[in-house]
Amino acid sequence: MTENSSPGTRPLLHMDGIRKTFGPVVALDGVDLTVGRNEVHGLLGGNGAGKTTLMNVLYGLYRADEGTVTLDGREVVVREPRDAISHGIGMVHQNFLQVDTYTVTENIVLGTEQPSWPSMDLKGQAERIAELSTRFGLSVDPLATVADLSVGLRQRVEILKALYRGAKVLVLDEPTTNLTPQEVDSLFGSLRAIVDEGMSVVFITHKIRETMAVCDTLTVMRDGRRVGTVARRGTTPTELAGLMVGDDAMVSRVTEVVTAGMAAPVGRALKADAYAAGNIAPERVVVSGLVAHNDHGVPAVDLSLAVRGGEIVGIAGVAGNGQVELAEALAGVRATAAGSVSLDGRDLAGSPTATWLDSGVAYVPEDRHRDGILPSESIVENLVLGAQRGRRFRSGPFVDWRRARQHAETSIRAFSIKTPSASTPAAQLSGGNIQRIILARAFSHEPGFLILHNPTRGLDIPSTQFVYDRTRDAATSGTAVLLVSEDLDELTNLCDRILVVYSGRIVGERRRGEYDQYELGHLMAGLEESA
Amino acid sequence: MTTTTAPVQTPPRTETRGGRGHALARQVVSYVVAVLMAFVVAGIIIAVLGHNPFDAYRAIVTTSFKSGFGFVETVHKWVPLVLLALAFTIPLAAGKYNIGGEGQLLVGATASAAAGILLADLPVYVLLPLVLVCGVLAGAVFAWVAAWLMDRFGINEILSTVLLNFVSFGIVDYVASEVWSDPAAGHPTTIPIGEGGLLPLVGRPPMHLGVLLAVLVAAATVVVMRRSVPGFELRAVGANSRAAQVHGIRVGRVAVGSLVVGGALAGLAGAIEVAGVHGKLIEGMQSNYLLLGIIIGLIARGNALAVPFVAFGIAVLEVGSSAMQRSAGVPSEMVLIVEALILLFLLFSDVVGARLRRSSR
Repeated sequence: MTENSSPGTRPLLHMDGIRKTFGPVVALDGVDLTVGRNEVHGLLGGNGAGKTTLMNVLYGLYRADEGTVTLDGREVVVREPRDAISHGIGMVHQNFLQVDTYTVTENIVLGTEQPSWPSMDLKGQAERIAELSTRFGLSVDPLATVADLSVGLRQRVEILKALYRGAKVLVLDEPTTNLTPQEVDSLFGSLRAIVDEGMSVVFITHKIRETMAVCDTLTVMRDGRRVGTVARRGTTPTELAGLMVGDDAMVSRVTEVVTAGMAAPVGRALKADAYAAGNIAPERVVVSGLVAHNDHGVPAVDLSLAVRGGEIVGIAGVAGNGQVELAEALAGVRATAAGSVSLDGRDLAGSPTATWLDSGVAYVPEDRHRDGILPSESIVENLVLGAQRGRRFRSGPFVDWRRARQHAETSIRAFSIKTPSASTPAAQLSGGNIQRIILARAFSHEPGFLILHNPTRGLDIPSTQFVYDRTRDAATSGTAVLLVSEDLDELTNLCDRILVVYSGRIVGERRRGEYDQYELGHLMAGLEESA
Repeated sequence: MTTTTAPVQTPPRTETRGGRGHALARQVVSYVVAVLMAFVVAGIIIAVLGHNPFDAYRAIVTTSFKSGFGFVETVHKWVPLVLLALAFTIPLAAGKYNIGGEGQLLVGATASAAAGILLADLPVYVLLPLVLVCGVLAGAVFAWVAAWLMDRFGINEILSTVLLNFVSFGIVDYVASEVWSDPAAGHPTTIPIGEGGLLPLVGRPPMHLGVLLAVLVAAATVVVMRRSVPGFELRAVGANSRAAQVHGIRVGRVAVGSLVVGGALAGLAGAIEVAGVHGKLIEGMQSNYLLLGIIIGLIARGNALAVPFVAFGIAVLEVGSSAMQRSAGVPSEMVLIVEALILLFLLFSDVVGARLRRSSR
């Protein structure tokens, strides 16, 4: 590992006193960041800490209210991404902006000035890209069409795009989301190769494990402030967890979230005792030969599975392998094309959604804003949604709004929903509080079958821990839980059993404590079972 | 294994009531400002046209309240306005646009007139309910045609409701000039319906009881929209149809239902016009109620409770407009300009209000 910040060298990048407000919200409050030469600099913090906002300021997507950016000793003014690129700043976002029908080369070249203008020397550029990709271990076929590439390969294209434009500072926003463990290792190898060639990398993440694996220096952010900068060698995961969470009393409650996946080899270290209980419980949910179509009418799911009462079963897989269709089909939201889904012996396939709900199916959808809430309606109304015809909230043709309000006030306390009042419109709440409403609604039905789809995506640390606790509580009370997630650490932590899906089929099954994440990664990539 | 939950925080519950009152006050202020601005701008236009704006406004504002006749005329005008505004706002709550109110009104009126003419000899306690029910049903069925096309084939309900208006013109023309034409009228008009089909009149000057019916319907709409299960489902579909669907609400059914109910109310308006005002079917009796109903619905911002009050304000303006033409010489169409300006300034106040709130924080 090269650590050649020789004395006297100026830092490559220095951001000083960056402040950014969005209306009344202070997103960044005087943040400093110093990135040395040849280093992978981790930017660590929970969701909402301001990491991405800070980097969007650097890249010119947001204009800071106050503060300066110094690059290579010279103060620079970045008004838009074009300025950032010309100063040698490159950024890879979580959502790639690529033209699907173009080749890798065309996507990379797009928007740059070509010396051969007005003709295009794509062949020459393809060679240059091939050379870059070998040099940094980012192998991808320059002539492949982007639409055919996996998420991991598309990410390489984005990194190559930044390198091609001469990035000196490369910013990666949560780059490991949706990668298999193997792809993560390969990415980390490329990052080392990149810094060895004299560039620096800013690596945004909320996972301590990843920073410990690849970063040289770490800046921890919380609530829009920088709370510390430490060298990787001089710190411990516990210290980082303390910095991320801030409140010492809180650390013990949320360690599970911040140190997710720290045990090595992951999975094996966890005790299998929790599974023993589930093993003898009867199967509550039996799914057999389920076929569901995607929005284009193409079969996207074809599988069978069973969940015992009190068991948490995980569905692992790279996004887009039928998880959305599976979750929606099991929630009764998407029509089943074939097969049966039974809960406690009652087949629900083909019934209207309301019947599924009444039978005890509860669904926490992935896109909580699109599928989960009525934004303009109050918390009271949002909690009644789905139960308005049930005996609990109905009197004659009317909703018993007094009881609904009492229920809302109880839920606000029980689920620690931070809100001015029960009549506040849901749209005014934060993502974490919206998720708490959705959970409160799911649990108030006393579900027999709980389906959670990426339930902690975008949540801050306490809310994530809250979701974990509630999920375990549900299992303890005998609910059959299905957790569909793209976060392997989350699955490893919670699940008694993990099923790996690839192209809508189950390609492997592992019990708690009997696997490591690399095995899962292997299966997620669609490779045959080797063991 | 289960750790304790996140810190228990009692949510700050201080400014619940105050916050609500504040929001209401802001609403009222924006309405008052919009109305005043509209009158100021229209006043300038009137002055430019060479008339005295104060005379014009005096005529507009006082006509409805100066005499009993003016008031009854205003209330009679209010009935179709409030019903057509509700026919627009109820589907709007589910995110559907019913632009077919006048078609539904006319078809309702036609059915009422048909019942009243064919069964003219029946006594009042049979014929009157029959006339009203026929109007309601015909309006509902006419709206259902558009709703069915929407649900079954995905045909945009705006297009189909607008186009069905033209169909209704054809129906009225045929019925009023071919089937039961009254040749003495000199304009496509049917012969009068039976005595038993007419709404009873009360007071002096006489007011028809359709007014009472409209009050009841408007009150019931508010209760149903706010309190009932179907009303909640309707609002849920309007707020986020996808989330409503995920939570077991049959979105298509709710949307169809909202259009059919809207059509029924428009049909009731047609029935009341026949049974209470004209006593027969007259071509052109739909006036510009559709347009005004939409304006009322939009000024009320889709709020069913606000609709009757806004409708009354518009009825006052409409009744005052002809008085204004007589006394101040200002063309009565000026009132349409005032109504449009109220709506525009109200929309404008939203933009300004949002700006102010953002900068004040």
